[in-house]
Amino acid sequence: MKELDPNEIYRWLIFLPSLLILPALVLGLLRKTKARLQNRIGAPLFQLLFDLKKLSGKGETLSDAISWIFRSTAALNLSMLLLLSLVCPWLVFKPALGTSDLFYVMYVFAAIRFFTLLAALDSASPFAAFGASREATLSILVEPALMLSFAALAVNAKSSELSRVFEFAANSGVEASAIWAFAGMGILLSSLVELSRMPIDDPTTHLELTMVHEAMILEASGRTLALLEYGQALRMTILFGLVTQCFMHVFPAVIALSLGLKVLLSFLGILFIAISLGIFEVLSVKLRWRRNPDFIAYALTMGLLASLIAVGKGLLS
Amino acid sequence: MNLDLIELVSIAAALSAILMAGSTHLSMNIALYSLQTFLLSLATYSLAGLRAESHFIWVALAIVVLKALGIPLFLHWIMVKIGVNSDPGTTLAPPLAMHCCVLLMGLSYFLAQSLPSSSLEGHSWANATAAISLLLSGLILMLTRRIALSQIIGFLVIENGIYLFALTQTSGMPLVVEMGVLLDVLVGVMISGLLVFRIQRSFEHIDVTQLTELRD
Repeated sequence: MKELDPNEIYRWLIFLPSLLILPALVLGLLRKTKARLQNRIGAPLFQLLFDLKKLSGKGETLSDAISWIFRSTAALNLSMLLLLSLVCPWLVFKPALGTSDLFYVMYVFAAIRFFTLLAALDSASPFAAFGASREATLSILVEPALMLSFAALAVNAKSSELSRVFEFAANSGVEASAIWAFAGMGILLSSLVELSRMPIDDPTTHLELTMVHEAMILEASGRTLALLEYGQALRMTILFGLVTQCFMHVFPAVIALSLGLKVLLSFLGILFIAISLGIFEVLSVKLRWRRNPDFIAYALTMGLLASLIAVGKGLLS
Repeated sequence: MNLDLIELVSIAAALSAILMAGSTHLSMNIALYSLQTFLLSLATYSLAGLRAESHFIWVALAIVVLKALGIPLFLHWIMVKIGVNSDPGTTLAPPLAMHCCVLLMGLSYFLAQSLPSSSLEGHSWANATAAISLLLSGLILMLTRRIALSQIIGFLVIENGIYLFALTQTSGMPLVVEMGVLLDVLVGVMISGLLVFRIQRSFEHIDVTQLTELRD
Protein backbone atom coordinates (compact mmCIF):
# COMPACT_ATOMS: atom_id res chain seq x y z
CA MET A 1 0.00 0.00 0.00
CA LYS A 2 1.18 3.49 -0.85
CA GLU A 3 2.40 5.57 2.07
CA LEU A 4 -0.11 8.30 2.89
CA ASP A 5 1.12 11.84 3.02
CA PRO A 6 0.16 13.41 6.40
CA ASN A 7 -0.89 16.50 4.46
CA GLU A 8 -3.32 14.35 2.49
CA ILE A 9 -4.81 12.94 5.72
CA TYR A 10 -5.48 16.44 7.03
CA ARG A 11 -7.19 17.29 3.76
CA TRP A 12 -9.50 14.29 4.09
CA LEU A 13 -10.14 15.14 7.74
CA ILE A 14 -11.41 18.61 6.82
CA PHE A 15 -13.07 17.53 3.58
CA LEU A 16 -15.31 14.70 4.81
CA PRO A 17 -17.09 16.61 7.62
CA SER A 18 -17.53 19.64 5.34
CA LEU A 19 -19.27 17.38 2.83
CA LEU A 20 -22.02 16.83 5.40
CA ILE A 21 -22.02 20.13 7.28
CA LEU A 22 -21.48 22.65 4.48
CA PRO A 23 -24.63 21.80 2.45
CA ALA A 24 -26.75 22.02 5.61
CA LEU A 25 -25.10 25.29 6.58
CA VAL A 26 -25.52 26.83 3.10
CA LEU A 27 -29.21 25.96 2.91
CA GLY A 28 -29.74 26.93 6.57
CA LEU A 29 -28.02 30.30 6.16
CA LEU A 30 -30.03 31.04 3.02
CA ARG A 31 -33.32 30.25 4.74
CA LYS A 32 -32.31 32.02 7.96
CA THR A 33 -31.38 35.20 6.05
CA LYS A 34 -34.72 35.16 4.26
CA ALA A 35 -36.60 34.53 7.52
CA ARG A 36 -34.80 37.28 9.45
CA LEU A 37 -35.41 39.80 6.66
CA GLN A 38 -39.10 38.89 6.70
CA ASN A 39 -39.27 39.41 10.50
CA ARG A 40 -39.51 35.72 11.26
CA ILE A 41 -37.27 33.73 13.60
CA GLY A 42 -36.81 30.99 11.02
CA ALA A 43 -35.73 27.38 11.31
CA PRO A 44 -32.44 26.49 13.05
CA LEU A 45 -29.29 26.66 10.89
CA PHE A 46 -28.92 22.88 10.67
CA GLN A 47 -32.59 22.16 9.97
CA LEU A 48 -31.60 20.11 6.91
CA LEU A 49 -29.85 17.55 9.12
CA PHE A 50 -32.89 17.26 11.42
CA ASP A 51 -35.10 16.86 8.36
CA LEU A 52 -32.85 14.13 7.01
CA LYS A 53 -33.03 12.27 10.32
CA LYS A 54 -36.81 12.59 10.45
CA LEU A 55 -37.32 11.57 6.84
CA SER A 56 -35.05 8.55 7.02
CA GLY A 57 -37.12 7.20 9.93
CA LYS A 58 -40.34 7.47 7.97
CA GLY A 59 -41.96 4.87 5.78
CA GLU A 60 -42.29 5.39 2.04
CA THR A 61 -45.47 5.71 0.03
CA LEU A 62 -44.95 4.61 -3.54
CA SER A 63 -47.34 4.87 -6.45
CA ASP A 64 -48.31 1.66 -8.28
CA ALA A 65 -47.32 3.20 -11.60
CA ILE A 66 -43.60 3.59 -10.89
CA SER A 67 -40.78 1.41 -12.16
CA TRP A 68 -37.18 0.84 -11.07
CA ILE A 69 -36.21 4.22 -12.55
CA PHE A 70 -38.00 6.19 -9.85
CA ARG A 71 -36.75 3.91 -7.06
CA SER A 72 -33.10 4.09 -8.06
CA THR A 73 -32.88 7.75 -9.12
CA ALA A 74 -32.35 9.28 -5.69
CA ALA A 75 -29.46 6.96 -4.88
CA LEU A 76 -28.02 7.30 -8.38
CA ASN A 77 -28.12 11.10 -8.23
CA LEU A 78 -26.56 11.24 -4.81
CA SER A 79 -23.73 8.93 -5.85
CA MET A 80 -23.06 11.04 -8.94
CA LEU A 81 -23.02 14.15 -6.74
CA LEU A 82 -20.57 12.55 -4.33
CA LEU A 83 -18.38 11.68 -7.33
CA LEU A 84 -18.60 15.31 -8.47
CA SER A 85 -17.71 16.55 -5.00
CA LEU A 86 -14.53 14.48 -5.26
CA VAL A 87 -13.47 15.55 -8.77
CA CYS A 88 -14.76 19.16 -8.89
CA PRO A 89 -12.32 21.76 -7.54
CA TRP A 90 -14.98 23.43 -5.41
CA LEU A 91 -12.77 23.70 -2.31
CA VAL A 92 -9.09 24.60 -2.22
CA PHE A 93 -8.20 21.87 0.27
CA LYS A 94 -10.03 19.12 -1.57
CA PRO A 95 -7.85 15.98 -1.66
CA ALA A 96 -6.27 15.45 -5.07
CA LEU A 97 -7.86 12.51 -6.89
CA GLY A 98 -6.24 11.80 -10.23
CA THR A 99 -7.36 13.89 -13.17
CA SER A 100 -10.74 14.93 -14.51
CA ASP A 101 -12.01 16.91 -17.44
CA LEU A 102 -14.11 20.10 -17.40
CA PHE A 103 -16.59 18.71 -19.88
CA TYR A 104 -16.84 15.44 -17.99
CA VAL A 105 -17.90 17.39 -14.90
CA MET A 106 -20.39 19.45 -16.91
CA TYR A 107 -22.05 16.38 -18.32
CA VAL A 108 -22.20 14.56 -14.99
CA PHE A 109 -24.24 17.58 -13.87
CA ALA A 110 -26.38 17.11 -16.98
CA ALA A 111 -26.76 13.39 -16.25
CA ILE A 112 -28.07 14.20 -12.76
CA ARG A 113 -30.62 16.50 -14.33
CA PHE A 114 -31.53 13.83 -16.89
CA PHE A 115 -32.25 11.20 -14.25
CA THR A 116 -34.28 13.66 -12.17
CA LEU A 117 -36.37 14.39 -15.28
CA LEU A 118 -36.79 10.71 -16.01
CA ALA A 119 -37.88 9.96 -12.44
CA ALA A 120 -40.38 12.82 -12.56
CA LEU A 121 -41.92 11.41 -15.74
CA ASP A 122 -41.83 7.90 -14.33
CA SER A 123 -43.82 8.91 -11.24
CA ALA A 124 -46.82 9.44 -13.57
CA SER A 125 -47.88 12.52 -11.62
CA PRO A 126 -49.04 15.31 -13.93
CA PHE A 127 -47.50 18.02 -11.73
CA ALA A 128 -44.14 16.25 -11.82
CA ALA A 129 -44.35 16.05 -15.60
CA PHE A 130 -45.04 19.80 -15.75
CA GLY A 131 -41.97 20.40 -13.64
CA ALA A 132 -39.92 18.08 -15.82
CA SER A 133 -40.96 19.90 -18.96
CA ARG A 134 -40.00 23.26 -17.44
CA GLU A 135 -36.67 21.89 -16.23
CA ALA A 136 -35.92 20.54 -19.71
CA THR A 137 -36.65 23.96 -21.26
CA LEU A 138 -34.43 25.73 -18.74
CA SER A 139 -31.59 23.27 -19.21
CA ILE A 140 -31.57 23.83 -22.98
CA LEU A 141 -31.42 27.59 -22.45
CA VAL A 142 -28.73 27.55 -19.79
CA GLU A 143 -26.37 25.03 -21.35
CA PRO A 144 -24.67 27.43 -23.85
CA ALA A 145 -23.95 29.90 -21.04
CA LEU A 146 -22.33 27.27 -18.82
CA MET A 147 -20.47 25.76 -21.77
CA LEU A 148 -19.02 29.11 -22.91
CA SER A 149 -17.94 30.04 -19.38
CA PHE A 150 -16.17 26.73 -18.89
CA ALA A 151 -14.69 26.84 -22.40
CA ALA A 152 -13.25 30.30 -21.69
CA LEU A 153 -11.58 28.94 -18.56
CA ALA A 154 -10.20 26.00 -20.54
CA VAL A 155 -8.80 28.29 -23.26
CA ASN A 156 -7.27 30.51 -20.59
CA ALA A 157 -5.41 27.56 -19.06
CA LYS A 158 -4.78 25.95 -22.49
CA SER A 159 -6.09 22.67 -21.04
CA SER A 160 -9.46 21.22 -20.17
CA GLU A 161 -8.07 19.28 -17.23
CA LEU A 162 -9.67 20.61 -14.06
CA SER A 163 -6.59 20.50 -11.84
CA ARG A 164 -4.66 22.52 -14.46
CA VAL A 165 -7.51 24.98 -15.10
CA PHE A 166 -7.97 25.81 -11.42
CA GLU A 167 -4.24 26.01 -10.69
CA PHE A 168 -3.39 29.31 -9.07
CA ALA A 169 -0.01 29.67 -10.79
CA ALA A 170 -1.53 29.28 -14.23
CA ASN A 171 -2.97 32.74 -14.49
CA SER A 172 -1.62 36.22 -14.30
CA GLY A 173 -2.45 39.62 -15.72
CA VAL A 174 -5.61 41.59 -16.16
CA GLU A 175 -7.03 39.51 -19.02
CA ALA A 176 -6.91 36.31 -16.95
CA SER A 177 -8.62 38.10 -14.05
CA ALA A 178 -11.28 39.44 -16.39
CA ILE A 179 -11.87 35.96 -17.81
CA TRP A 180 -12.23 34.54 -14.28
CA ALA A 181 -14.58 37.31 -13.21
CA PHE A 182 -16.86 37.02 -16.25
CA ALA A 183 -16.83 33.23 -16.19
CA GLY A 184 -17.61 33.33 -12.46
CA MET A 185 -20.55 35.65 -13.10
CA GLY A 186 -21.73 33.39 -15.93
CA ILE A 187 -21.53 30.28 -13.76
CA LEU A 188 -23.24 32.07 -10.85
CA LEU A 189 -26.18 33.22 -12.99
CA SER A 190 -26.50 29.81 -14.64
CA SER A 191 -26.34 28.04 -11.29
CA LEU A 192 -29.34 30.08 -10.13
CA VAL A 193 -31.21 28.64 -13.13
CA GLU A 194 -29.76 25.19 -12.63
CA LEU A 195 -30.84 25.09 -8.97
CA SER A 196 -34.20 26.71 -9.87
CA ARG A 197 -33.68 29.51 -7.37
CA MET A 198 -35.32 32.89 -7.21
CA PRO A 199 -35.58 34.92 -10.39
CA ILE A 200 -36.49 31.75 -12.29
CA ASP A 201 -38.48 29.84 -9.71
CA ASP A 202 -39.59 30.43 -6.14
CA PRO A 203 -38.82 27.27 -4.14
CA THR A 204 -41.06 28.30 -1.23
CA THR A 205 -44.41 28.93 -2.89
CA HIS A 206 -47.26 26.65 -1.94
CA LEU A 207 -48.43 26.10 -5.48
CA GLU A 208 -46.63 23.12 -7.00
CA LEU A 209 -48.25 23.89 -10.31
CA THR A 210 -45.82 26.74 -10.93
CA MET A 211 -42.63 25.24 -9.52
CA VAL A 212 -39.74 23.51 -11.22
CA HIS A 213 -37.58 21.40 -8.94
CA GLU A 214 -40.13 20.95 -6.15
CA ALA A 215 -42.77 19.84 -8.64
CA MET A 216 -40.46 17.11 -9.91
CA ILE A 217 -39.90 15.56 -6.49
CA LEU A 218 -43.56 15.73 -5.37
CA GLU A 219 -44.01 11.96 -5.41
CA ALA A 220 -40.90 11.25 -3.35
CA SER A 221 -41.26 10.50 0.34
CA GLY A 222 -39.34 8.97 3.20
CA ARG A 223 -35.74 7.98 2.46
CA THR A 224 -35.99 8.87 -1.22
CA LEU A 225 -36.97 12.41 -0.30
CA ALA A 226 -34.15 12.59 2.25
CA LEU A 227 -31.61 11.60 -0.39
CA LEU A 228 -33.07 14.08 -2.91
CA GLU A 229 -33.08 16.95 -0.41
CA TYR A 230 -29.49 16.32 0.63
CA GLY A 231 -28.53 15.92 -3.04
CA GLN A 232 -30.03 19.28 -3.94
CA ALA A 233 -28.22 21.00 -1.06
CA LEU A 234 -24.95 19.33 -2.05
CA ARG A 235 -25.43 20.39 -5.68
CA MET A 236 -25.98 23.96 -4.54
CA THR A 237 -22.84 23.86 -2.40
CA ILE A 238 -20.69 22.44 -5.20
CA LEU A 239 -21.91 25.04 -7.72
CA PHE A 240 -21.43 27.92 -5.26
CA GLY A 241 -18.00 26.49 -4.45
CA LEU A 242 -17.06 26.55 -8.15
CA VAL A 243 -18.22 30.18 -8.39
CA THR A 244 -16.20 31.06 -5.29
CA GLN A 245 -13.09 29.46 -6.79
CA CYS A 246 -13.60 31.49 -9.99
CA PHE A 247 -13.82 34.75 -8.05
CA MET A 248 -10.83 33.78 -5.89
CA HIS A 249 -8.75 33.52 -9.06
CA VAL A 250 -9.43 37.18 -9.76
CA PHE A 251 -7.29 38.16 -6.77
CA PRO A 252 -3.78 37.00 -7.79
CA ALA A 253 -3.57 39.98 -10.17
CA VAL A 254 -3.89 42.26 -7.12
CA ILE A 255 -2.51 40.42 -4.10
CA ALA A 256 -0.96 37.01 -3.51
CA LEU A 257 -2.97 34.71 -1.24
CA SER A 258 -1.45 32.29 1.26
CA LEU A 259 -2.78 28.74 1.54
CA GLY A 260 -4.51 29.36 4.88
CA LEU A 261 -6.25 32.42 3.47
CA LYS A 262 -7.35 30.45 0.41
CA VAL A 263 -8.90 27.73 2.60
CA LEU A 264 -10.69 30.35 4.69
CA LEU A 265 -11.85 32.26 1.61
CA SER A 266 -13.25 29.19 -0.12
CA PHE A 267 -15.40 28.54 2.97
CA LEU A 268 -16.45 32.14 3.49
CA GLY A 269 -17.14 32.69 -0.22
CA ILE A 270 -19.71 29.89 -0.31
CA LEU A 271 -21.43 31.19 2.82
CA PHE A 272 -21.30 34.75 1.47
CA ILE A 273 -23.00 33.68 -1.76
CA ALA A 274 -25.66 31.88 0.30
CA ILE A 275 -26.37 34.98 2.40
CA SER A 276 -26.43 37.35 -0.57
CA LEU A 277 -28.73 34.99 -2.44
CA GLY A 278 -31.03 35.08 0.59
CA ILE A 279 -31.08 38.89 0.52
CA PHE A 280 -31.62 38.88 -3.24
CA GLU A 281 -34.51 36.42 -2.93
CA VAL A 282 -36.26 38.67 -0.41
CA LEU A 283 -35.84 41.77 -2.58
CA SER A 284 -36.65 40.34 -6.00
CA VAL A 285 -39.74 38.73 -7.44
CA LYS A 286 -40.06 35.62 -9.54
CA LEU A 287 -39.96 36.37 -13.24
CA ARG A 288 -42.88 35.55 -15.45
CA TRP A 289 -42.11 32.28 -17.22
CA ARG A 290 -41.77 33.90 -20.64
CA ARG A 291 -39.29 36.45 -19.25
CA ASN A 292 -36.87 33.72 -18.13
CA PRO A 293 -34.88 33.70 -21.41
CA ASP A 294 -34.17 37.42 -20.82
CA PHE A 295 -32.55 36.56 -17.50
CA ILE A 296 -30.60 33.64 -18.92
CA ALA A 297 -29.40 35.95 -21.71
CA TYR A 298 -27.33 37.80 -19.11
CA ALA A 299 -25.59 34.54 -18.17
CA LEU A 300 -24.90 33.94 -21.85
CA THR A 301 -23.54 37.49 -22.23
CA MET A 302 -21.09 36.87 -19.39
CA GLY A 303 -20.02 33.60 -21.01
CA LEU A 304 -19.62 35.32 -24.39
CA LEU A 305 -17.51 38.11 -22.89
CA ALA A 306 -15.32 35.61 -21.06
CA SER A 307 -14.72 33.56 -24.18
CA LEU A 308 -14.13 36.69 -26.28
CA ILE A 309 -11.40 37.84 -23.90
CA ALA A 310 -9.95 34.33 -23.85
CA VAL A 311 -9.79 34.27 -27.66
CA GLY A 312 -8.28 37.77 -27.73
CA LYS A 313 -5.67 36.76 -25.18
CA GLY A 314 -4.80 33.69 -27.24
CA LEU A 315 -4.44 35.82 -30.40
CA LEU A 316 -2.21 38.41 -28.72
CA SER A 317 0.22 36.08 -26.99
CA MET B 1 0.48 43.60 -21.10
CA ASN B 2 -1.46 45.44 -18.43
CA LEU B 3 -4.34 47.84 -18.65
CA ASP B 4 -4.11 51.19 -16.95
CA LEU B 5 -6.90 53.10 -15.23
CA ILE B 6 -8.15 54.93 -18.35
CA GLU B 7 -8.37 51.70 -20.32
CA LEU B 8 -10.23 49.92 -17.52
CA VAL B 9 -12.66 52.82 -17.19
CA SER B 10 -13.37 53.05 -20.92
CA ILE B 11 -13.88 49.29 -21.23
CA ALA B 12 -16.27 49.44 -18.26
CA ALA B 13 -18.16 52.17 -20.14
CA ALA B 14 -18.36 49.92 -23.22
CA LEU B 15 -19.67 47.07 -21.03
CA SER B 16 -22.35 49.32 -19.58
CA ALA B 17 -23.51 50.07 -23.15
CA ILE B 18 -23.74 46.33 -23.81
CA LEU B 19 -25.87 45.85 -20.68
CA MET B 20 -28.07 48.75 -21.83
CA ALA B 21 -28.87 46.85 -25.01
CA GLY B 22 -30.16 43.93 -22.92
CA SER B 23 -32.38 45.84 -20.56
CA THR B 24 -35.93 46.77 -21.51
CA HIS B 25 -36.50 49.08 -18.54
CA LEU B 26 -36.08 52.71 -19.52
CA SER B 27 -35.07 53.79 -16.00
CA MET B 28 -32.35 51.10 -16.01
CA ASN B 29 -31.14 52.35 -19.39
CA ILE B 30 -31.02 55.94 -18.19
CA ALA B 31 -29.15 54.96 -15.00
CA LEU B 32 -26.62 52.95 -17.01
CA TYR B 33 -26.16 55.88 -19.42
CA SER B 34 -25.49 58.15 -16.46
CA LEU B 35 -22.92 55.68 -15.08
CA GLN B 36 -21.28 55.35 -18.48
CA THR B 37 -20.95 59.11 -18.90
CA PHE B 38 -19.56 59.40 -15.40
CA LEU B 39 -16.90 56.81 -16.30
CA LEU B 40 -16.00 58.80 -19.43
CA SER B 41 -15.59 61.95 -17.37
CA LEU B 42 -13.30 59.97 -15.05
CA ALA B 43 -11.22 58.95 -18.09
CA THR B 44 -11.08 62.60 -19.19
CA TYR B 45 -9.97 63.68 -15.73
CA SER B 46 -7.17 61.13 -15.52
CA LEU B 47 -6.04 62.00 -19.05
CA ALA B 48 -5.73 65.65 -17.95
CA GLY B 49 -2.96 64.65 -15.57
CA LEU B 50 -1.18 62.40 -18.09
CA ARG B 51 -1.18 64.86 -20.98
CA ALA B 52 -0.74 67.93 -18.74
CA GLU B 53 -3.71 69.66 -20.31
CA SER B 54 -5.58 71.50 -17.59
CA HIS B 55 -8.66 72.28 -19.71
CA PHE B 56 -9.59 68.57 -19.67
CA ILE B 57 -10.51 69.03 -15.99
CA TRP B 58 -13.14 71.62 -16.97
CA VAL B 59 -14.41 69.35 -19.73
CA ALA B 60 -14.71 66.48 -17.23
CA LEU B 61 -16.62 68.72 -14.82
CA ALA B 62 -18.97 69.91 -17.55
CA ILE B 63 -19.59 66.31 -18.64
CA VAL B 64 -20.53 65.29 -15.10
CA VAL B 65 -22.89 68.22 -14.63
CA LEU B 66 -24.52 68.28 -18.07
CA LYS B 67 -24.33 64.75 -19.43
CA ALA B 68 -24.12 62.51 -16.36
CA LEU B 69 -26.66 64.40 -14.25
CA GLY B 70 -28.60 66.90 -16.36
CA ILE B 71 -29.60 64.82 -19.36
CA PRO B 72 -30.51 61.65 -17.37
CA LEU B 73 -32.66 63.69 -15.00
CA PHE B 74 -34.37 65.39 -17.95
CA LEU B 75 -35.00 62.04 -19.67
CA HIS B 76 -36.32 60.57 -16.44
CA TRP B 77 -38.66 63.52 -16.06
CA ILE B 78 -40.00 62.96 -19.61
CA MET B 79 -40.36 59.24 -18.87
CA VAL B 80 -42.44 59.91 -15.75
CA LYS B 81 -44.45 62.62 -17.54
CA ILE B 82 -45.35 60.37 -20.48
CA GLY B 83 -45.89 57.32 -18.28
CA VAL B 84 -43.90 54.87 -20.39
CA ASN B 85 -41.41 52.78 -18.48
CA SER B 86 -40.36 49.88 -20.66
CA ASP B 87 -39.47 49.28 -24.28
CA PRO B 88 -40.56 45.96 -25.81
CA GLY B 89 -38.03 46.22 -28.65
CA THR B 90 -38.61 45.64 -32.36
CA THR B 91 -37.51 42.79 -34.64
CA LEU B 92 -34.42 41.85 -32.64
CA ALA B 93 -35.26 40.89 -29.05
CA PRO B 94 -33.22 42.80 -26.42
CA PRO B 95 -31.31 39.70 -25.17
CA LEU B 96 -30.22 38.91 -28.73
CA ALA B 97 -29.31 42.56 -29.27
CA MET B 98 -27.06 42.29 -26.21
CA HIS B 99 -25.33 39.22 -27.69
CA CYS B 100 -24.91 41.11 -30.98
CA CYS B 101 -23.23 43.93 -29.05
CA VAL B 102 -20.78 41.48 -27.47
CA LEU B 103 -19.87 40.15 -30.92
CA LEU B 104 -19.55 43.71 -32.25
CA MET B 105 -17.15 44.41 -29.38
CA GLY B 106 -15.02 41.56 -30.73
CA LEU B 107 -15.27 43.11 -34.21
CA SER B 108 -14.26 46.51 -32.88
CA TYR B 109 -11.16 44.89 -31.38
CA PHE B 110 -10.08 43.95 -34.91
CA LEU B 111 -10.98 47.41 -36.23
CA ALA B 112 -8.89 48.96 -33.46
CA GLN B 113 -5.91 46.80 -34.43
CA SER B 114 -5.83 48.34 -37.91
CA LEU B 115 -5.66 51.93 -36.63
CA PRO B 116 -2.28 53.67 -37.06
CA SER B 117 -0.19 53.59 -33.92
CA SER B 118 0.93 56.70 -32.13
CA SER B 119 2.92 57.54 -29.02
CA LEU B 120 0.15 59.77 -27.73
CA GLU B 121 -0.84 59.22 -24.08
CA GLY B 122 -4.08 57.20 -23.90
CA HIS B 123 -3.79 56.17 -27.55
CA SER B 124 -4.09 52.39 -27.16
CA TRP B 125 -5.99 49.49 -28.71
CA ALA B 126 -8.11 49.09 -25.56
CA ASN B 127 -9.43 52.66 -25.69
CA ALA B 128 -10.06 52.44 -29.43
CA THR B 129 -11.89 49.12 -28.95
CA ALA B 130 -14.05 50.64 -26.21
CA ALA B 131 -14.84 53.71 -28.33
CA ILE B 132 -15.81 51.76 -31.46
CA SER B 133 -17.77 49.28 -29.35
CA LEU B 134 -19.70 52.14 -27.70
CA LEU B 135 -20.52 53.55 -31.13
CA LEU B 136 -21.74 50.21 -32.47
CA SER B 137 -23.74 49.45 -29.30
CA GLY B 138 -25.45 52.82 -29.64
CA LEU B 139 -26.25 51.96 -33.24
CA ILE B 140 -27.78 48.61 -32.17
CA LEU B 141 -29.76 50.42 -29.46
CA MET B 142 -31.18 52.88 -31.99
CA LEU B 143 -31.98 50.13 -34.50
CA THR B 144 -33.69 47.69 -32.15
CA ARG B 145 -35.83 50.00 -30.03
CA ARG B 146 -39.45 50.91 -30.47
CA ILE B 147 -39.92 53.87 -28.13
CA ALA B 148 -38.75 57.33 -29.19
CA LEU B 149 -37.09 57.87 -25.80
CA SER B 150 -34.84 54.85 -26.34
CA GLN B 151 -33.78 56.32 -29.67
CA ILE B 152 -32.56 59.41 -27.85
CA ILE B 153 -30.64 57.21 -25.42
CA GLY B 154 -29.10 55.29 -28.32
CA PHE B 155 -28.05 58.54 -29.96
CA LEU B 156 -26.43 59.65 -26.70
CA VAL B 157 -24.48 56.39 -26.48
CA ILE B 158 -23.19 56.95 -30.04
CA GLU B 159 -22.18 60.46 -29.02
CA ASN B 160 -20.30 59.04 -26.04
CA GLY B 161 -18.44 56.66 -28.36
CA ILE B 162 -17.44 59.49 -30.70
CA TYR B 163 -16.34 61.58 -27.72
CA LEU B 164 -14.19 58.75 -26.32
CA PHE B 165 -12.61 58.17 -29.74
CA ALA B 166 -11.80 61.86 -30.17
CA LEU B 167 -10.47 62.06 -26.63
CA THR B 168 -8.10 59.11 -26.79
CA GLN B 169 -7.11 58.86 -30.46
CA THR B 170 -6.43 62.52 -31.18
CA SER B 171 -4.57 65.08 -29.15
CA GLY B 172 -7.89 66.47 -27.95
CA MET B 173 -10.04 69.37 -29.01
CA PRO B 174 -9.81 72.89 -27.61
CA LEU B 175 -12.07 73.81 -24.72
CA VAL B 176 -14.37 75.97 -26.85
CA VAL B 177 -15.09 73.14 -29.30
CA GLU B 178 -15.74 70.65 -26.48
CA MET B 179 -18.14 73.04 -24.79
CA GLY B 180 -19.87 73.68 -28.10
CA VAL B 181 -20.36 69.96 -28.67
CA LEU B 182 -21.71 69.54 -25.13
CA LEU B 183 -24.13 72.40 -25.65
CA ASP B 184 -25.21 70.91 -28.99
CA VAL B 185 -25.93 67.56 -27.36
CA LEU B 186 -27.86 69.24 -24.57
CA VAL B 187 -29.98 71.27 -26.97
CA GLY B 188 -30.46 68.22 -29.22
CA VAL B 189 -31.78 66.19 -26.30
CA MET B 190 -34.03 69.05 -25.20
CA ILE B 191 -35.51 69.43 -28.69
CA SER B 192 -36.01 65.70 -29.18
CA GLY B 193 -37.56 65.54 -25.71
CA LEU B 194 -40.05 68.20 -26.73
CA LEU B 195 -40.66 66.31 -29.98
CA VAL B 196 -41.44 63.19 -27.95
CA PHE B 197 -44.06 65.22 -26.09
CA ARG B 198 -45.55 66.39 -29.40
CA ILE B 199 -45.59 62.84 -30.80
CA GLN B 200 -47.26 61.64 -27.61
CA ARG B 201 -49.91 64.35 -27.87
CA SER B 202 -50.80 63.83 -31.52
CA PHE B 203 -50.47 60.03 -31.80
CA GLU B 204 -51.17 58.98 -28.18
CA HIS B 205 -48.08 56.72 -28.26
CA ILE B 206 -44.34 57.14 -28.90
CA ASP B 207 -43.86 53.96 -30.92
CA VAL B 208 -41.58 54.92 -33.81
CA THR B 209 -42.48 51.83 -35.85
CA GLN B 210 -46.04 53.13 -36.25
CA LEU B 211 -45.13 56.67 -37.23
CA THR B 212 -45.25 55.84 -40.95
CA GLU B 213 -49.01 55.51 -40.83
CA LEU B 214 -50.62 58.71 -42.08
CA ARG B 215 -53.44 60.20 -40.06
CA ASP B 216 -55.61 63.28 -40.28
